[in-house]
Amino acid sequence: MTALPRPSSKPTPTVAPRIGARAVCEALVREGVTTIFGYPGGTVLPIYDVLREFPLRHILVRHEQGGAHAADGYSRATRGVGVAIATSGPGAINLVTGLATAMMDSVPMVAITGNVPRALLGKDAFQETDIVGIALPVTKYATVVMDPDEVPYAVAEAFEIARSGRPGPVLLDFPKDVLQLETSVPYPEPHQLRLPGLLRPVRGDVPEADELADMIAKAERPLILSGHGVQIAGAVDLLLQVAERTEIPVAHTLLGIGNMDETHRLSAGYAGMHGWMHVNKMIQQSDLLIGIGCRYDDRITGKVSTFAPNARIVHGDVDRSEIGKNVRTDLGIVADAGDLLAALLRRLPQSEPRAAWMAQLAAWREVSEARSWHGSGAWREGRLSADYVIDQIGEATNHDATLVSDVGQNQMWAARYFGFRHPYRHLSSGGLGTMGYSVPAAMGAALGAPERETWAVVGDGGFQMTMQELATLVQDQIPVRIAVLNNHRLGMIRQWQEIIYDENYHSAELLGPDLLRLCEAYGIPAWRATRPDEVAKVIAEARKAPGPALIDFHLDEAQNVYPMMLPGKGLSDMVEGASE
Amino acid sequence: MAARQTVPAGEADAVHRRHVVSALVVDRPGTLNRVSGLLRARSFNIESLTVGSTHEPGRSRMTIAIRGDDGHLRQVLAQLERLIEVLEVTDLTQRERIELELALVELEPPKDPAEQATVSAALGWAGGEVISTDGPAWRVRLVAPPEAIDRALEALRGHGLRSLVRAGAVAMAAGTTTTPITENGATRA
Repeated sequence: MTALPRPSSKPTPTVAPRIGARAVCEALVREGVTTIFGYPGGTVLPIYDVLREFPLRHILVRHEQGGAHAADGYSRATRGVGVAIATSGPGAINLVTGLATAMMDSVPMVAITGNVPRALLGKDAFQETDIVGIALPVTKYATVVMDPDEVPYAVAEAFEIARSGRPGPVLLDFPKDVLQLETSVPYPEPHQLRLPGLLRPVRGDVPEADELADMIAKAERPLILSGHGVQIAGAVDLLLQVAERTEIPVAHTLLGIGNMDETHRLSAGYAGMHGWMHVNKMIQQSDLLIGIGCRYDDRITGKVSTFAPNARIVHGDVDRSEIGKNVRTDLGIVADAGDLLAALLRRLPQSEPRAAWMAQLAAWREVSEARSWHGSGAWREGRLSADYVIDQIGEATNHDATLVSDVGQNQMWAARYFGFRHPYRHLSSGGLGTMGYSVPAAMGAALGAPERETWAVVGDGGFQMTMQELATLVQDQIPVRIAVLNNHRLGMIRQWQEIIYDENYHSAELLGPDLLRLCEAYGIPAWRATRPDEVAKVIAEARKAPGPALIDFHLDEAQNVYPMMLPGKGLSDMVEGASE
Repeated sequence: MAARQTVPAGEADAVHRRHVVSALVVDRPGTLNRVSGLLRARSFNIESLTVGSTHEPGRSRMTIAIRGDDGHLRQVLAQLERLIEVLEVTDLTQRERIELELALVELEPPKDPAEQATVSAALGWAGGEVISTDGPAWRVRLVAPPEAIDRALEALRGHGLRSLVRAGAVAMAAGTTTTPITENGATRA
C-alpha cells in the first residue's frame, strides 16, 4: 500500500533479501543523498541500527523541527532533496512546522518517520500518532508504507514527487516491523515508477509566448515580477537574457531574491509589503506586469483591487492552480519558468532602452533610498541600526555568502540591505513565516554548500525558538555565523503595536539570556557590538572562526522597517516611516 | 492604457451555484481524506460526495456536488487536480450530463385513496418503486435526478415518510466523452 496504484503482480525479486531499513538507506544512497538530519526513537531504531553501513552522514539535531528546517536549508542551498528522519508520535509531529514551511515555499524534501508496528496501528500504542493524517495538508504527498516489498518503490516515488513540477515535501511513514522485515524487491528504474496522478509540466516551447511577445511589443512601461520559480527552474541566466533583450526592468519577490544581481542596471529590486517604494511605484504605474514563477501573494499585492491598476497582468507559473488564484490575470501561462523565458527569447528582437521608464525608475529610486533608514544615515550618528549590520555582512562577504534570514524585521532588513548578487544565497521562510527557521536552516545550508560562508540573520525572538541547535553546530563543527539582531523585543510585533495599535505594547518585550554567556556554555566563540564602529571588527573576527560563531548586535530598539503596507491597504498607500 | 478594475479571478465571475464535479482518483486509503480535506480548507460545504469503483482496477470515480462561485471553484478544482491521488477532474456543471441519485425511504402505507394518489404521484416523479411491504412500513426506492427526489420527498412529508437514506448524486457527461480539465501546460506521468 504505497503511494500508488500497485502493479497487478508484485515486481519480480531480483536482489538479495534485505530488511526494510536497509532498503530505505539503499534508496537514499541511490537518490544521491549524502547528508540526513535526524533524531532517533524507538520506531526508527532499525534504520539507526544499519545506518553505519551506508555512505550517509547523519546529523543528530536537538529537536525534530530543527531537522526538518535543516533538510529544507540543505535543499534550498544545493537544489537537491533534503532528508529528515524522526521517530513516531512526538518526533513525527515535531516535523510538521518544517514540512509546512517547505510546502509553502515549494522546497523538495523527503521526511521519513517510524510508526508503531502494523499490528498496533490505530490502537493508541505508545508514541503512536496518525502522522499521515496530520501531514496531509502540509505536504505534497504523505503515505504510510504497509508492506516491506513496497519500500524501494515508495522511496523512489517520494523523491520523484518531491522534485518534479512544483516541488514540495513528501512524508513516508514506516511501521517499525516494515523496517525489520525482508524484501527482495529491487530499487526501481525511473520508468518503473507508478505515478499516474503526478502532474508534470509540458516541456519545450511555450506557444502562449506569442501573445506575450505581442503584449511586450506594445507595452510602454513593462515590468517583470520574478519569483522563486525562476531559481527552482534554474533559469536565472535566461531571465537576465530576457531582461537585456527586452530592456524590461526586473523586480523580485522575497524568495525571488537572487534572480538577478541587484547591481544590474535592469534590477528594480524587492517588491511588496516592505519592499522598496520605487519598485512598488513601478508596479502601480506599469502597463504590463509580467509575473514569472511567483504567486502574486498578499505580501506582494496588498489589497488586490488596487494592485497594478494600470497594467495588463501576465502570470506564468508551473502550477496551474496558482493562475487566477489571487489576482485577475489577463494572460495565464502554465509553464516552467525556464521554458517560458526561453520561448520569449526565441520570439523577441533586441529592444531599444526604455529611456523614459528607466529614468522614472531612477528618480523614484533616489527618493526611496534616501528616505530609508539606511539612506538617512542614522548609523552615522552612532546608533546601531540593523540595515548597517546587514550591509556590513554583505560587504565583508562580497555579497556571496549564503544568508539565511529568520522572520520579522530581521527578514525584511536582510532582504532590503544585503545586496544579493547570486541565486541560491538567500534562504528564508517566505510563505509560512516560520520564526526559528534561520539557525537550523543555516545548519543545513552550510553542510550543503560548504564552499560558501553561511550566515544566519535572526532576531532575538526567533533565535530563542530553535537555539537548541547550537549544540548540533558545535558537535558537528558546522561553520554557521549567527548574527542576532537583538533589540530585546519582538520587533515586528512592537512595530505593529506602535503603528496600528496606538502604541499599546503587549508581549513585545522579550527577556533573553546573556548570549555571550550562553555561547560560552556551548563553546561557541561570540562577540557583542553596540556601536556602528564595532560592527566591521566583530564580523571580521567571527569570519575567522573555524566552526560556528555568534555576534550579538544590540540594536537601537525603536528602529522600524519602512516602508510598510498596512493591513487592508495597497501598494499605493504605504506608510513611509518617521525616520526621514 | 485605460485603468481597469482589478479583482481576483474568483470574484470576477461570481456566479454562485451548485456544481457537479467528476473526479477520477486512485483507489487507496487516504484519497477521500485528501480530497475532502482540500475542500474543507477552502471552506466549501460538500452537498454530496459519492465514490465507487470504475471499469479500471485501482481507479475510483467521485461525484462531488458542491455550491460555490464559478471562479473560486475553478481554482479549487485546479488544486484538486494537482493532488497525486487525483487523475482527472471534470466540472460537469455547464455540460449536458446524466445525473441520478438513489434514495431509500421508509414509508407508512397510505391510509386512504387520497393519500394513495399523493404517494403514487410522488413516486412517479422520482422513478419510485415499492421494494418491500413487509412489516408495518413500506420500503421504497427512488432513482432520479436529485431535484426530482427533493420534490418527491417534499410531497411525501406528512404522508407517511418515516425515514430516509440518500446516496448522493452520481453524474456522467452525456454525449461526448468526459474531458478532464487538464489542458495545456501539464501532462500526467
